[in-house]
Amino acid sequence: MGSGNDSILDMYLYETNTLLEQLDGILLTAEEADTFSEDSVNEIFRIMHTIKGSSAMMEFSSLMTVAHRIEDMFFIVREKGMDVVPEATRPDLFDMLFQAVDFFRGEIEKVENDEPLSQSIDHIVNKINSLIDKIQGNPAHAEAEAPAAGESAGGEAAAADVSAVNPDYLFGIHVFFDEGSGMENLRAFMLTNSVKDYCGDFITSPANVETDPSTSDIIADQGFLVWFRTADERNNAITAVQNGSSVREYQPVDAAKPAPPAPAEAPTAPAAAPAKEAPKADASPAPAAKPAAGGQQHAKESLISVNLSKLDQLMAVVSEIVITESMVTSSPDLKGLRLDNFTKSARDLRKLTDDLQDVSMSLRMVPVSGTFQKMNRIVRDMSKKLGKKAKLTLIGEDTEVDKTIVDAISDPIMHIVRNSMDHGLEEHEADRIAAGKDPVGEVILSARHTGSEVIIEIKDDGQGVDTQAVLNKAIRQGLAIPDHEYSQKEILNFLMMPGFSTNTEVTEYSGRGVGMDVVKKNVADVGGTVTITSEWGQGMTTTLKIPLTMAIMDGMEVSVGDSIFTIPINTIQSSLKVTAGDVIHDPAQGEMVKIRDNFYPIIRAKDLFCMDQGCDNIEDGILMWVEAGEHSYCLFVDKLMGEQQIVVKPMPNYINNFGVKNYGISGCSILGDGSISIILDVVNVYAAAHSAY
Amino acid sequence: MAQVEEMMFATEAQVDEYNDQIPEIATEKYLIFSSDSLMYGIKAELVKDIITGYSITYLPQVPGYVKGVINLRGQIIPIVDIRLRLGKMPQDNFCSIVVEVEGNMVGIVVDMVEQMVDIPLDDILPVPTNSGGSHAMVSGMCTLPDGNTMLELDCEQLLHD
Repeated sequence: MGSGNDSILDMYLYETNTLLEQLDGILLTAEEADTFSEDSVNEIFRIMHTIKGSSAMMEFSSLMTVAHRIEDMFFIVREKGMDVVPEATRPDLFDMLFQAVDFFRGEIEKVENDEPLSQSIDHIVNKINSLIDKIQGNPAHAEAEAPAAGESAGGEAAAADVSAVNPDYLFGIHVFFDEGSGMENLRAFMLTNSVKDYCGDFITSPANVETDPSTSDIIADQGFLVWFRTADERNNAITAVQNGSSVREYQPVDAAKPAPPAPAEAPTAPAAAPAKEAPKADASPAPAAKPAAGGQQHAKESLISVNLSKLDQLMAVVSEIVITESMVTSSPDLKGLRLDNFTKSARDLRKLTDDLQDVSMSLRMVPVSGTFQKMNRIVRDMSKKLGKKAKLTLIGEDTEVDKTIVDAISDPIMHIVRNSMDHGLEEHEADRIAAGKDPVGEVILSARHTGSEVIIEIKDDGQGVDTQAVLNKAIRQGLAIPDHEYSQKEILNFLMMPGFSTNTEVTEYSGRGVGMDVVKKNVADVGGTVTITSEWGQGMTTTLKIPLTMAIMDGMEVSVGDSIFTIPINTIQSSLKVTAGDVIHDPAQGEMVKIRDNFYPIIRAKDLFCMDQGCDNIEDGILMWVEAGEHSYCLFVDKLMGEQQIVVKPMPNYINNFGVKNYGISGCSILGDGSISIILDVVNVYAAAHSAY
Repeated sequence: MAQVEEMMFATEAQVDEYNDQIPEIATEKYLIFSSDSLMYGIKAELVKDIITGYSITYLPQVPGYVKGVINLRGQIIPIVDIRLRLGKMPQDNFCSIVVEVEGNMVGIVVDMVEQMVDIPLDDILPVPTNSGGSHAMVSGMCTLPDGNTMLELDCEQLLHD
């Protein structure tokens, strides 16, 4: 496959995925309301139409067929309103649609993975067909009503006229010629000629096709109608139409008057009627849909999709500009000069670069709503499957975070929501009622900003964590020491240890052994933390704290000799000066210091990094008390240089190959004067120091 | 200077050959630099930049021949001292050729950058297999027009051990 094709495929995948997501959202809202609003019917119709079209273009026929069928169905719904769907079949309708969405997703995934598409779509197509039949109830009757009702709908209006004027000719064939075939009136005339071979008694609409060339446009636009007296006559004529040249689509239509012989109709063209009906929208979308679709289009045009790597690039360039700008304005060459104009321009430049930085950062920000909306579906599916009534409440959906973070937290959130549904909410409604709770369980998903962090909370009002059970399990798993007293917090932390799963049964949704530990790891990968709080009987809250963006962080610059190191500010507890007398030595040459009734080891950066320069005397330097993970210690450095926002840059691969990460060197950043500071990873510094001693 | 002109002449002759559609001698541009009185050559297509006067940030926990990293227009680039890498005494100067090898940008500290030459690929001879450690990281040898011998630096090997 050429690269050109690939980019089309990319576009296709992107577009289809977006549409499916949109569809999922619409379906969930609709299911709640147990009906489709006019807008959502139009929207679904449009989505299916687009998927059908693009899938056909990409030659994914299974996708196309299913989309086509659903489109057909929604065409009917659109024409006649949601009332056409009987109450009883609505759950089936929703289930079918959800299934279809899953089917599309599955197929799209196969396309992404370059796997062959599934060919067995009969199951789903049959389901749709049977639904269409149900919806139509009386298909023939419904069909004829459609045109009659759609007076504004151009072509159908003409059809209605004919049937009204000629109550004897009630059995029609609606014929469409190939788009752009030209001289439609003559083609129609030729068609009438061949129909004459089968049956002589019929009328056409428009009538005088042979003589009036202006009918060409009408036919091209609205199709050509041939009306017969009886259904048999029409069935004969269909053969002629089938063989007619340039015939793109045809469909039997029945006018309203006498209750038409629907059963006779059905076998001749099983479900074909609605199927054929839809493509008409291909050529001329019904006016009803137009305003809605038009409005959508308009809203969409103000959005463009950009490759993430371009944004990364932009971000990199902007960070460079910010750094270079400060290199220029604080250039040593300017020392001692009085440059009023320069200073003024420099100030303006600074303001602009600040703006530029803000804008380029904001470009990467996306709302979490996309991720949150997906959870709706999970809660819905699980509550059906597990027979637990539950609702999902979303708070702060429009909170924006960096795109990479959204991607990274999507799976963890899903996992936690599943956990809440599976283990959190009470097994039986009665338990909830007995506990004085609303029989319908609730999962609250909320997101909010606090300064440099985004906080995502997944909260359920279920039974909470049975700490005793967790502790027992932890002991059984060898994670905890028996007879040791653990605090509530420590016990909850066991939940996030590898291989810990309190539910002994493996269900479809959770309990596969991979659990909260994976969540913790994923979140840690983007620099975040996970905490669990729970009260027995009151439910459980899982909180994810994630830095807004990974590329920029607050750090404390410290120096050792000539080198500058950056310690992430969120790991620093405090900095302190100590005297030689405060330092306690242990037999293994280790040093410790007592802070607030606790002893903390001292790690000398100079020794750890085998540096030539730097303070040796503990009284000349300063201790940075840091804490990360389970480790808390004091890092001895020369000087505190101040807090700064830094742009994190990874170390070159060549350097990383030497395993510097294990020594706590996680990256570097360029300071305002162009020099490089080394970013320390507090946990690994400890590990390195520990293995060194 | 005379050599340079000679080389340029050779290049033009080659252009003519291209134009005449006569099968040409495949040549490759090399950047010649000296290190510890030996002449080395690096394929010019690998060379991204020649820099002097950058301050190197010391990095702990890396082999001694990695002098540290520099900030080259916002990119963090490791600096390798070829003298130390080849087990020789370091010299206190900083002239570095930035090369891109397998997607990694690396600065190589050299004594002096000499010139660019076109070398016919056929003229590059293999290194005698029994040659000692001093020829390590050399993937080929070639006699230059001025009579010196150029050692082709094996950049991949320089980075990997």
